[in-house]
Amino acid sequence: MEDGGIVRRAFRDSIPVLMGYVAMGFASGVLLAVEGGISCAPAWAAATSATFVSGPLQYIFVDWVRTSQALGSVLLVTLCVNFRYSLYGLSLIDRLKGASLWQKAYIIGTITDETYALQTACRLEGRSGVAYCLFLAMFDHLYWIGGVTAGAIAGVLAQGAFSTERVAAVTKGIDFAMTALFLVILTDQVRERANRLPAAIGFVAALIAFFAFGRANMLVPAVAGIVATFFACRRWMDVR
Amino acid sequence: MSAEAKYAFTVLVSVGALSYLLRALPFALFGRRGEPPPVVRYVGRVLAPAAIAMLVVYCYAGEAASGRMPFAPYIAGAVTVLLQIWRRNPLVSILAGTLLYMFLVR
Repeated sequence: MEDGGIVRRAFRDSIPVLMGYVAMGFASGVLLAVEGGISCAPAWAAATSATFVSGPLQYIFVDWVRTSQALGSVLLVTLCVNFRYSLYGLSLIDRLKGASLWQKAYIIGTITDETYALQTACRLEGRSGVAYCLFLAMFDHLYWIGGVTAGAIAGVLAQGAFSTERVAAVTKGIDFAMTALFLVILTDQVRERANRLPAAIGFVAALIAFFAFGRANMLVPAVAGIVATFFACRRWMDVR
Repeated sequence: MSAEAKYAFTVLVSVGALSYLLRALPFALFGRRGEPPPVVRYVGRVLAPAAIAMLVVYCYAGEAASGRMPFAPYIAGAVTVLLQIWRRNPLVSILAGTLLYMFLVR
């Protein structure tokens, strides 16, 4: 397939991702601008969305800058939320054999659930396959950065046009979007039987950690409890 | 640089670096052999649902401290989950749940 055809095909396949990323990104950008309490929100939005490339982290970043969450818990949450990506990369190794170092570095750095799913579903081989993966990664990455940044710009513009207080009054409660996002991800995860026990372990460990240590200090002990339980209960898990 | 900007910059660099490292790690570690050890596969498989469940609790813990209407997050959360079970459209579920919550805490 010639290159133009591959670009078109990658773009066509990415359209559902376009809608999802722009909408979810936009909401997280608005959230950062109106709730984050940080100046130059659009610049932060662009920089974080380009490097984190993660919905959950983008939303929780707002909570982090607002509460100055300890860096240790920040990194631990990053590790837990994105650990699965380190397994995704593996199944792309064969597919990316002909790619240059920079192409590989970019495709790997922008892996997400959605991008990975499309990349593995595509049956193109060799150079065409690499080109397809590269363009798809680029489209999805740009949608995400564009959505988050546009949301932050919209938030800042609204604050300028009205007033920070007026905007805060209208958008009061918009931070629930983060809770709703996690609830939706969790709902989809527990459709799969194998995810139910791990989710229950995470839920109970987090509750215990919250009551024992409070919200500000709960994440590190919760993760410790989760990982310890995983190793203690491995034989009862659906995946081992 | 303000204290917030300094903190945000630290988070940007460290989370950005760790995110990249996590995505690139298998290529560096298992690129030749092509298979991670079973224990890595196991943890990779079970960690994501546990982490998301933990973050749900973390969000609700924040709600409890916010001093807003105490039942609002549970009502809005239930609607979000039911919509997601029924329609399977994340955008619709999140939008409806958030708008309902914003209406309830008004």
